[in-house]
Amino acid sequence: MSAVQQANILGGRSLREAWRTPEALAPTLFIPVFFLIVNFGQAGKIFPSDSTGFLHGQTYAAFQLPISLLLAASFGTAALFLVEDIEGGYFDKLRAAPVSRSALVLGRLLAEFVKSAAITTVLVIVALPFGVSIASGPVGFVLLVLLTSLWAVVFSGFMQLIALKTRSAAATNSGGLVFFPLLFLTPNFVPRDMLTRPMEIAATLNPVTYVMEAMRWLVLQDLAWEPLARGFGVVAVLGVLMVALNVRVIRDYD
Amino acid sequence: MNEAQDRYHRSATADAGGTAGEYGLSAGATTVSDMELAVEAERLVKQYRSRAETVDAVRGVDLKVGIGEVFGFLGPNGAGKSTTVRMLTTLLSITSGTARVAGIDVSADPDGARRRIGVALQEAGLDPRQTGRELLVLQARLFGSSAAHAERRAGELLELVDLVEARDRRIKGYSGGMKRRLDLASALVHEPEVLFLDEPTTGLDPASRLTVWDELRRINARGTTIFLTTQYLEEADQLCDRLAIIDGGLIVREGTPQQLKAELRQRRGLDTDPTLDEVFLDATGRTRERAAGEVQEVSA
Repeated sequence: MSAVQQANILGGRSLREAWRTPEALAPTLFIPVFFLIVNFGQAGKIFPSDSTGFLHGQTYAAFQLPISLLLAASFGTAALFLVEDIEGGYFDKLRAAPVSRSALVLGRLLAEFVKSAAITTVLVIVALPFGVSIASGPVGFVLLVLLTSLWAVVFSGFMQLIALKTRSAAATNSGGLVFFPLLFLTPNFVPRDMLTRPMEIAATLNPVTYVMEAMRWLVLQDLAWEPLARGFGVVAVLGVLMVALNVRVIRDYD
Repeated sequence: MNEAQDRYHRSATADAGGTAGEYGLSAGATTVSDMELAVEAERLVKQYRSRAETVDAVRGVDLKVGIGEVFGFLGPNGAGKSTTVRMLTTLLSITSGTARVAGIDVSADPDGARRRIGVALQEAGLDPRQTGRELLVLQARLFGSSAAHAERRAGELLELVDLVEARDRRIKGYSGGMKRRLDLASALVHEPEVLFLDEPTTGLDPASRLTVWDELRRINARGTTIFLTTQYLEEADQLCDRLAIIDGGLIVREGTPQQLKAELRQRRGLDTDPTLDEVFLDATGRTRERAAGEVQEVSA
């Protein structure tokens, strides 16, 4: 059996685990929707769609949707389940099987990709009543789901690294918080050129900015090569890095 | 080495004209030298290194377990039992020495070794969100079974461990005994040649313990070698063909339960055979009072 087949089997188990823990899944949906509604409610009047150029004729909720999607993709429940496996001894049972070490970490990342794709779809549907549409059409929608799900893999890979290194739920939870400032050092309320200079510099240096801008482009405008290349480039580089680090850590895991 | 161990080693060397290790293996009629080996470890060492210190968890263990044996591996908390088992089952890297399981070098070919061994470690390692059937099917798939074969094998094993009725219940609802039996079943999905069990009955009530013993006897009767660590000496006495006692990372006794009792009886000039508890206390240099009052940190 190939490593890919093994990762598929383990991914299926992780999806079952997520499905059977709705209490862990609920915040992943609720909090992003909450932020979408609150941010739209607070700033919707400041940025009316007919006189705000950067909205391209849509409501401010469309501008906010990528932040909610990124937030949803940046919950680290998969890594916490991994810590549970480690603490409960099930991870050792898996390690004692002739399973590719890479499959042990890739299975969860694969599940995270699928889970994120489903959650992204749900969130886009939830956003529709707020005047949001995907301006780049069906292809743009698919790319939006793909980009968000790849980001979920990057973030889960980061969390999984902490889990494998520390084997502690508390440390994994805290480690995830380190990533959160990066989500907010972005042009999350207005476009980058409207930020104060220090904030603009910080946002420009932050790779998450390019993922957010690519997602925003897909929601507000037609398909365009440059912003998408930057967004997908960031997730590709970080994704490869996270997977490589995960595989390295699991191979040395004692 | 404590006083009792030292006395044993000096006596053994003088009586047998050889090393303590040789004495342990050749003290009675049963030896492993002629057997085909299921487990073989030579000078097995595990060191944990940190910036502050180096801890020697296992300090040169030699083991030979014949095919078809039930081998007991005993020792006090922190003696190196679990560390040794984790090295033999590929879960822990070996600092030095060699280990072969079912003829496979566990360091050189860990996947080869994993295909031939079954492992059930301390604290039944199960996924509480899966059902018993799902867990066994998943485990069988990971060992390369097709989906249909995995389903069939899961059914057989659920029957073997008497969990057919609970097959579609989530594991988190299982009792301690049911979890242990399922853990045992999950270690058998691929019909391993050697089954490693790390304290399989710890925390079980007496009835559940007896059920697990029956399972182990049945599994062994089918030809599976069993390598068992336990803190229950009665368990070792009931189940094991041979056993070794480890203390401070070294093997301090090895032989059949009867050999070990006879040796202590002879050495102390007793009228009747001592119990395995007394052999254990003698081997590890503990007294009943000290063992009862001791609080030890488990480091293995």
